[in-house]
Amino acid sequence: MDSHVEEGCSSETLTFMELAIEQAKDALNSLEVPVGCVIAEGGKVIASGRNRTTETRNATRHAEMEAIDALLEQWQKSGLSVSEVAEKFSTCSLYVTCEPCIMCAAALSILGIKEVYYGCANDKFGGCGSILSLHSSTSKLRNSGNIAQRKDFKCTGGIMALEAVSLLRRFYEQGNPNGMNSIAQLQPYMMHRGT
Amino acid sequence: MKKSMNGMWKIVHIPDKPPIPPNQQPTVNVLASIIDPKHANTLIRRLNQIAPLKNACHVKRIQKKHLEGGKTQLSVILCLASEDNSLLNSLPQDVQELSNSYQLSPFVTKVCKYAATSKEEWEEQCKLWPTSYHPPTYNIDGITGFSEEDSLSVLSFMKVAIELAKSGDGLIVNAAVIVDPSVQQIITNGCDQIFSWHAPMNKTCIRNDCIEQSTNLDSHQSNGVVSPVTEVLPNASPSEPESLSCAVSCLNPWKWSEQRSDMANSYYWHPLRHAAVVAIESSADRDRRLFPGLGDAEEKSFETSQSSHIVSMVKRQKTNVANVEKKEVDPPNMPSNSVPERPYLCTGCDIYLVWEPCIMCAMALVHQRIRRIFYAFPNPNTGALGSLHRLQGEKSLNHHYAVFRICVPDEVLDIAGNRKSC
Repeated sequence: MDSHVEEGCSSETLTFMELAIEQAKDALNSLEVPVGCVIAEGGKVIASGRNRTTETRNATRHAEMEAIDALLEQWQKSGLSVSEVAEKFSTCSLYVTCEPCIMCAAALSILGIKEVYYGCANDKFGGCGSILSLHSSTSKLRNSGNIAQRKDFKCTGGIMALEAVSLLRRFYEQGNPNGMNSIAQLQPYMMHRGT
Repeated sequence: MKKSMNGMWKIVHIPDKPPIPPNQQPTVNVLASIIDPKHANTLIRRLNQIAPLKNACHVKRIQKKHLEGGKTQLSVILCLASEDNSLLNSLPQDVQELSNSYQLSPFVTKVCKYAATSKEEWEEQCKLWPTSYHPPTYNIDGITGFSEEDSLSVLSFMKVAIELAKSGDGLIVNAAVIVDPSVQQIITNGCDQIFSWHAPMNKTCIRNDCIEQSTNLDSHQSNGVVSPVTEVLPNASPSEPESLSCAVSCLNPWKWSEQRSDMANSYYWHPLRHAAVVAIESSADRDRRLFPGLGDAEEKSFETSQSSHIVSMVKRQKTNVANVEKKEVDPPNMPSNSVPERPYLCTGCDIYLVWEPCIMCAMALVHQRIRRIFYAFPNPNTGALGSLHRLQGEKSLNHHYAVFRICVPDEVLDIAGNRKSC
């Protein structure tokens, strides 16, 4: 199960989460739902992303997807093979301001990412413990010899959650240009377990 | 495909909850009592105040039994029984007082715990204690059955998806067709592009490249002819066809990392480009193309204009089924000086998938506000719409689609005499 720590997490974790918050602010300034992320490998940020659902009119363009696409492009341009890319993902950590939704959590599992640190929980769509637990193989997965081995990823929530929530609150208070105007819509992001 | 095959095709609604045999529904205990009919109104009013049936709103407070000799007997539920089944000492004090003053004789009985989801369940429930039954609160066409005309239309769109799934160079992939059912039009489509022989997807030039790509697909498919699969040259394929005869991404999303790397060298590949994701991206491209350059101020009005948009779409006369495979057309008869109303994402649209989607794709379709999902083949290991997960029944989500399986003969996947090996 994922854990929720604020104190005791390393300064590196906080630094990366601050960068993710910067991405979320960038989204807010562009009238996007303020969620941002960075992907780090070996202590270095190698990709970042923020929500672009309004701009693209594609509701799947979450911060995680933006960062993942940037990485795939970058790695393929530098000539990495499929197995090398798979190996790379298994050494990467994602820092995202809000718990990955079910879609993104599934994507991260498909890619075989090493670990995820998130800010606030997502009690409406969360795929890393809130609604489904796609990061953990203790969640149901039918056994079959034909299924390639799925890798779990470690998941830690509650990092700089208040900052993440306050950005979301600002967004919904100013009115979501894409329709979710009710403060009730903020509920899933505000209610994070453990605090 | 021959028309006569339609007889073998069947559309089945996949409900929000796994079906329970109607006679095995979970029950809870309640405390009830036979009452004098002349006290019925008073008692029920009072009981609804002091002991409302929380979490059991489907259960009727009163039961009427017909006894021999034409007499009727009324019983009411006093309150839910406590968990430990201890009998009458569990009456709350005010209920106890009411019971005393009307000289009631409480007994324990069973009622069904959850509201019925079908007429069959409801009929079974009422054998225990009467309940109310409301057919699905969301009103999505097809849950209560399809008209002959609608069935034909649904089947014809699925055929388009199946042909698309076979259109790759010797491999069967998953395919998605997004349809606006109000005008019977294909909006866009997409196939698995894990290992793509199509134009490289480049985020920075999404606007132009992908539009080109989707247009090509449209015209390819709008020929209305089955692609000449028998003439597929295995040598033209980027790898050995037998190793990829079935490359349906959703069936095993983790398999991408096991692909031989030599095949990927000169082709762009992306482990997450499953058919549904590709189709969603393509529909978003179309949205930007048809409704370009709307500023922030205008965006504010989208949500409010949504409902009237849907009404007008529904009112629009349905086109003939024969037009179903026609090429995407621009918004109907749009005067150049008026701004057409832009749909919000895929609100009102259906998607046809050859295979039941994995959880990533199923959630992507929630995000994009798809109205109905039709799939032909279940995905027993990783399917998210009834097989492994049942996302359509996840109450916390902000959008719910209706899900249907179209049962089709396996032969529809035959390519050049080779049976699929999925």
